[in-house]
Amino acid sequence: MNQKEENKFSVITTKARWVLPVALWAVLSFCSGPFLAKVEERSFFQFDLFWFYDFLGQPAGLLSWCGLFFTQFLHLPWLGALIWVLLLTLTAELTRIVFRISSKYALLTYLPAAIFTGYNMSMGYLIYLVNHPGFFFAPVLGYLWALLSVVVLRRFTKPATSLILILIWGFAGYYIAGVYGLAGVIVSAVDTAFSDRSRMGRILPAAGAVAVFILAPILFLGSTTYCLSTAWTLGIPDSIHGISLARMQLPIVIALVLLALAPVSRIFGELSDKICLRIQIASIVVLLAIPAFSWYKDRNFKTELEMIQAVEELDWEKVPKLFDQLAQDHESDPSWQPTRIMVALKDLALIKTGQEGNLGFGFDDGSMQQNTDNKVQMSMQVGWILGFHYGIPGFCQRWIYEESMLFGWSNMTFKYSTMTALLFGNTELADKYLTMLDKTIFYRKWAREQRKLNRDRSLLATTAPYDLILPLLCYDDVVLADQEGCETFIKRHFGGPSPENSTPLYDRVALYFAIKSKDPTLFWTRFFLYLESNNPHKIDRYYQEAAYLYSSIQKNGLLEALPFDDQVKDLYNSFTESASKFGPMNMEEAKMKFPANLRHTFFYYYYYVNNIKLF
Amino acid sequence: MKRFLSYLTILLLTASCTGTPKGAVPGTDPVIYPDYTNITVPSNIASPNFLIEDDANGYVTLFKSGDVQVRISGQKVCIPLRKWRKLTSQGDISVTIYEKKDNGWVMMKPFDINVGKEIDAYVTYRLIPPSFQTFGRLSINQRNLTNFKERVIYANSMAAADDGEQCINCHSFRNWHADRMQFHIRQLNGGTVYYMDGKLSKLNLKTDSTISAAVYPAWHPTHDYIAYSNNMTFQNIHTNNLERMEAFDDESDLVLYDIYKNAVSVIENKRDEYECHPYWTPDGQTLFYVSAHVDDPDWFFSVGGASVHNELLKYNLYCKSFNPQDKSWGETQLYYDAASVDSSITWPRISPDGTKLLACLSSHGIFPPYQSEADLVMFDLGNGSFRYVDEINSNRAESYHSWSSNGRWVIFSTRREDGTYTRIYLSYLKDDGYFTKPFPVPQKDPEFSRKFLYSFNVPEFSIDPIKVSARVISSFVNSTDPGSVSYEQKEGK
Repeated sequence: MNQKEENKFSVITTKARWVLPVALWAVLSFCSGPFLAKVEERSFFQFDLFWFYDFLGQPAGLLSWCGLFFTQFLHLPWLGALIWVLLLTLTAELTRIVFRISSKYALLTYLPAAIFTGYNMSMGYLIYLVNHPGFFFAPVLGYLWALLSVVVLRRFTKPATSLILILIWGFAGYYIAGVYGLAGVIVSAVDTAFSDRSRMGRILPAAGAVAVFILAPILFLGSTTYCLSTAWTLGIPDSIHGISLARMQLPIVIALVLLALAPVSRIFGELSDKICLRIQIASIVVLLAIPAFSWYKDRNFKTELEMIQAVEELDWEKVPKLFDQLAQDHESDPSWQPTRIMVALKDLALIKTGQEGNLGFGFDDGSMQQNTDNKVQMSMQVGWILGFHYGIPGFCQRWIYEESMLFGWSNMTFKYSTMTALLFGNTELADKYLTMLDKTIFYRKWAREQRKLNRDRSLLATTAPYDLILPLLCYDDVVLADQEGCETFIKRHFGGPSPENSTPLYDRVALYFAIKSKDPTLFWTRFFLYLESNNPHKIDRYYQEAAYLYSSIQKNGLLEALPFDDQVKDLYNSFTESASKFGPMNMEEAKMKFPANLRHTFFYYYYYVNNIKLF
Repeated sequence: MKRFLSYLTILLLTASCTGTPKGAVPGTDPVIYPDYTNITVPSNIASPNFLIEDDANGYVTLFKSGDVQVRISGQKVCIPLRKWRKLTSQGDISVTIYEKKDNGWVMMKPFDINVGKEIDAYVTYRLIPPSFQTFGRLSINQRNLTNFKERVIYANSMAAADDGEQCINCHSFRNWHADRMQFHIRQLNGGTVYYMDGKLSKLNLKTDSTISAAVYPAWHPTHDYIAYSNNMTFQNIHTNNLERMEAFDDESDLVLYDIYKNAVSVIENKRDEYECHPYWTPDGQTLFYVSAHVDDPDWFFSVGGASVHNELLKYNLYCKSFNPQDKSWGETQLYYDAASVDSSITWPRISPDGTKLLACLSSHGIFPPYQSEADLVMFDLGNGSFRYVDEINSNRAESYHSWSSNGRWVIFSTRREDGTYTRIYLSYLKDDGYFTKPFPVPQKDPEFSRKFLYSFNVPEFSIDPIKVSARVISSFVNSTDPGSVSYEQKEGK
């Protein structure tokens, strides 16, 4: 290859090596912010020795601790993404330098980075099921450890010294980084095998690596509590039951195999220009294809994340807007429905802004299934959020505790536990959780603010979000089962006997759940309580529509007694006219036939929004 | 560097000094966490490390006992075990804390740590994060009370996670000796695991004639029997109450497992009585247990009113004589009618000398840890008198409790610290029949309890350590199918 051609290859490689990471950072920061933030919310890192020692108790615990350390920076997605990209670049560059891979093939060293990125970004709903602290960063950090192993072990060329060091380093590596520690010594042994050494110089390190691979997991079994079958995959993210282990572990195993192949690359020597060019192009295609094809791109999932984030920020106005935007984008798609989480969060936000009576049925309803093989219960996603904001702290606490039992504590579970403890008036418990959050970087400020409330609970009544929750706590505590799911539980809670000292807010929420239940008897009970306690200047639109519909059906004389708007009467007439014209049809057909103004009425909801599956 | 060395020299000189700050003025009572002021500790317990909570610029704590004096600097007072041993060997200890305020040193009011009789060296408990339904991370651990060492006896993470989950519970020893131990595993690879005479075994104690597998155990003190309750347990959640949940039975009975016959027989199984929590007197000739009467046993399922159902369940204390030779039973006698005072009594535990019975009294039901009003009560089995153990109780739940083998110590579960996380406290029984101020089991890190996010369940003393490793138990449990037991007809009345 002449100088000119070599320069040509060098330019392509160099540009790609810098353009690809920058592009990745931009895509992660600007398109995947809510996902990255969710990863961070579901993790927890605190600067505390007691907590640190807890991680040190198990092999690969330190790797998880480091993974969690970096995960906290995803709180600011641009920062977390930057760290992620820098770590990936570091792995690729180190691989190139350590194995002296020609810069012509340097793009190949980015393959593991592409696999790690694809792995993380393919998770989708799996992030609610992955059960491994620091899972987002741990594989890359483990990979770096494996590389470091090669660098260190290569320095010792005497066979006996090399063997001893491999044994020591291997056992220590397993303790620090689990399977990546084992990978480190194996890659090192492969590296040795392809370097200019004596026969003993090749055999002894290989024997040491095999010994470490077999013995290290067994050695640590006695002092640990993990399952024997996971001993050789320790450090690779796992999930709660039901998720295929191959789904969780195969991509990382492939990345480690690629690392082990790096030393082998030396045997190829000089390849022809044509092959070089093909390798370059193939590398770029593969580097782009792996994340592009594996990236989880479900709009409903993304909108759910954005809506949850808006709820966390108490940006109640934004929540229905996000829903509406997605619905508009699917206006012409009769098969599209919102997920129940989207509907539930939209309803919650409308209630918080007092708009449920006028806007509640202004959105498409539905119960679209999650686009995933691994179904996540609604309660695991938003159970505690709904429980808390609807003033059912017991239910909120229940789901926080289940979550923390299954996945360990997270920033979110600490946050909601604190707020629930504040609602219960349990200052000691709130203090316990705040002490944890005090030692974080990004929740310290929030913890300080909550501590003020914990010292003076009278402030709760005027502080968001408590100001809109305390009025919902006017009911007598009851004991309920919640096996039927999150929405049914909340519906049943507000469908129970009306509290003796119910507040206007409680009556409004109870009326909204009554109207959604399509139960006329419950509606009338709640409707009159609402009129009495809220004494509205004008009855909200959808309550008028429900009253008008039920009065028409029941012929109870209220059509004349209640002050219905002309608009409500006109809409009812238009609706009945259209309905009689179209005849019987299912939900999908009705969506296509009814114009938006009639579709967004209670009449339409009553007759055509059926087969909604509550979770 | 020079400056660093000079600081280091001063520090070392100060640390080795056993004197007290000069010119200290008298102050108030110190605030320390945990509250170890004026307590009685076992002579062989680990050092009660604590944190001084008062704000100050410097702290010196002086421990004095006989001619032994130990000086600790700093806000965290962690007493080296060897020095602590020297202190306890001399008898009662006087503790004085000096706090350096802006105006100089203040000598806080001294307090005492009295030294009582020895305690059994080991306590075994289950660690569990608060939860309702899931049990992803549970372990049964044994703590050596004479130091801070703790080991896992079995953890459910040791089962193959892909196959399902395990709940582990109800560990129990015979006569405080760890060479006879049992615990239950539910669901994955489930069964009751026994460690007896150096051998492990696993059994399914459910028979066609009993309603469930074995639940709450009571080893017979002299013969190879274990009394168990069989329970059909449910739980529901509170919508707005810190007590969080109600666990309740819809049916429960008592059975006797004969270890050598490998057979189960019924002790009590009336459909309108929910019998539970058996416990033997030390002579093995009487079984105490609790039972709640229900007028209509099918009412719960027909109405579905779980909370009402549980609130109506009031357990009384009963006893029943037993002849261990032929396994025959005498008449059932009502010992304490808790229902008549609108209460429910649970977990009777009899002192090793057979003179006292400690139990838990709450408003309703069989599961008091979630009821803040749950308190410990004590019966004098000689004269039948009864009293609330006010010197132990708090305004939050006290629940599971057990006696040490010498009958001078009790360990009990309490949620007094935050209403949610169960902690284990110790208290000493004085000669006058009253207990001393309870204190939490000492931990290496004084702030342990504030940071630890697990609850301690079912604290049980043992004189000796469990001699089988967690890995051996795990390997056995997860590779062995449970054996079955036969059912034998009840003897006697």
